[in-house]
Amino acid sequence: MKLIQRRVSPADSPLAIAASMGFAVLAALLITSLLFSLYRANPLTAYIALLREPFGSLRGFGYTLVRTAPLTLIALGTIVSWRSGFGYLGFEGCSVIGAAASAWLALFTSISSWVFLPAVLLLSFAAGAVWAGVVALLRARFGGNEVLISLMTNYIAILLVQYLVSGPMRASGGVPETALLPRATWLRFILPGTRAHSGILLALVAACVVWVLLRKTAVGYELIVSGLSPSAARFAGINVGRRLILAAVCAGGLGAWAGTVEILGEQHRLMDGISGGVGFTGIIVALLARLNPLAVVPAAILYGGMTVGANAMQRRAGIPSSITFILQSLIVLMVLASDLFRRYRVNLT
Amino acid sequence: MNAHRLVSLAFFTTWLAASVRLAGPVLLAALGETFAENSGVLNVGIEGTILLGALASFLTAYITGMVWVSLLVAMLTGIVFNLLLAWMYVTVRASQVVVGLVFNVLALGITATVYRRVMGESAGPQTVAMFAPLHIPWLSDLPLLGPSLFGQTILLYLTLAMVLVAHFVLFRTSFGLALRAAGENPSAADAAGISVPRMRYIGVLIGGATAGMAGAYLVLAQIGLFRESIVSGQGFIALGIVIFGRWSPWKAAVAALVFGACDALQLSLQVVGSNVPPQLLAALPYVVTILAISGLFGGKAIQPAALMVPYAKE
Repeated sequence: MKLIQRRVSPADSPLAIAASMGFAVLAALLITSLLFSLYRANPLTAYIALLREPFGSLRGFGYTLVRTAPLTLIALGTIVSWRSGFGYLGFEGCSVIGAAASAWLALFTSISSWVFLPAVLLLSFAAGAVWAGVVALLRARFGGNEVLISLMTNYIAILLVQYLVSGPMRASGGVPETALLPRATWLRFILPGTRAHSGILLALVAACVVWVLLRKTAVGYELIVSGLSPSAARFAGINVGRRLILAAVCAGGLGAWAGTVEILGEQHRLMDGISGGVGFTGIIVALLARLNPLAVVPAAILYGGMTVGANAMQRRAGIPSSITFILQSLIVLMVLASDLFRRYRVNLT
Repeated sequence: MNAHRLVSLAFFTTWLAASVRLAGPVLLAALGETFAENSGVLNVGIEGTILLGALASFLTAYITGMVWVSLLVAMLTGIVFNLLLAWMYVTVRASQVVVGLVFNVLALGITATVYRRVMGESAGPQTVAMFAPLHIPWLSDLPLLGPSLFGQTILLYLTLAMVLVAHFVLFRTSFGLALRAAGENPSAADAAGISVPRMRYIGVLIGGATAGMAGAYLVLAQIGLFRESIVSGQGFIALGIVIFGRWSPWKAAVAALVFGACDALQLSLQVVGSNVPPQLLAALPYVVTILAISGLFGGKAIQPAALMVPYAKE
């Protein structure tokens, strides 16, 4: 009798999944603990500090919600595209394109404030939809590799925004950035005494809409079938190419909204580096949520909170905030690796 | 006036030399990736491995001042981290795109943290010893082609030699055949007694070695310092070059030269001053890479049949 036996199929009871994920998170925390000890910080106090700032005070929680909104929107975009079989990775680009479109509408047109919000959401969504839709078109029509093409489009979008803020949209002054957006175009702050803005409400609504779209509508069903098996979908009469483009349009639009809530809710001006990696952290959030639109919200709150906590830790203890990148990616890598252990059983009898 | 300077011999001489110089790192990374992809693994994590290799070579050169040791350390760093990637790709059988993407974030976190830990918060960019360009009497002074062909660093000639070796190993040895079989038809390869996991581990590890070296190339032969944006998509461009080069080392060399030419052209145009804003010129290499792999030109690329498909023995 071998102590460790291979299972015929991986253990997939909720308990097994929860336990393996729990161990995975624990392993990631342990590895990151070693890093904290490089800075002579007690790991336990460090982790408590990491959570106290974002969740221990109303002010801190406000910041957490500010970070949660774009992460949620990008994670939702990831879910729509990936579940439809479109491996899109261009959310960093979509988000800066959305931010640029929003800044343009706010600075260079004068629409009355109550039309502005729907107009900016529409424009930003359309900009992101076109940006991602082109990639889907290349994939659907010419068989281009969407993974690589979308990665390239990130760099192009970032350079485009660099050009806009140093040329046509630049405000007079030493720094390449636009003028401050007019106050009337800002998203409303929703919690008195905090920076939390209505972007989080948009993110929550979007999560519900995506859930309904994928779970309860015929289109969503066709999207998922196209993702699971393109040939079966084609056999059932689904136009897979068109579904792919639809998925890309939704994903690009959601990604662009992430830029919109960031610029109208928090930054209030367009500058280089406005997205700061949120396009990739958002994908990681979607993975942590196992591509479930509703699970995205708590996952985004956790990761958004971690970012807030890490910034506070850098200010106070001098521990670089880049450690959160390590922690956030390690957690997902370990969760992925934990699938391996569900393929075995320990035989104690 | 500008147009006149543009066509001058000096412009072409520097442009060609810069094309070859800039093609070096992406070609090096693409060479190893050719092995990984032929074995059936698309390593999106290559960007992160190059970044880690760049940091490893920078820190080694900063501490020891020895360029060859730095190159070696970068290579070993690439191998070690790709061992983790290979484990995730091959043993865990997780989605290759997902693992590669998350690994890139991990690599960014590690390099940013380690760089700050070693160099301190406030220190400005430090330069390190670099490989010097060779100067071959007479040959290096030839007009037009002299500087581009005979005035490069030793790393470029090493890379070109590796193209030949890679081509020979991949297409003229039984190991190369086994590796390609693992990526083309894993179950048949398995039936023929080839260990598919072993081949894929080897493919990813070769990819790690050259990606680490590519990072060292950037630091030791191109800019002489480290910054977090040093790679800025060149790993992803290397992936594109492998596709554009149809999974063959020497065609990848041609593709890398095309990329180098675009990158050098945009840099030269920025220097001579053109009407196009520099940020849009800087997008040129990415745009060209997209066009190259879009499927718009040259028909559909026939990739290894089992690329990105994890293999589980039945």
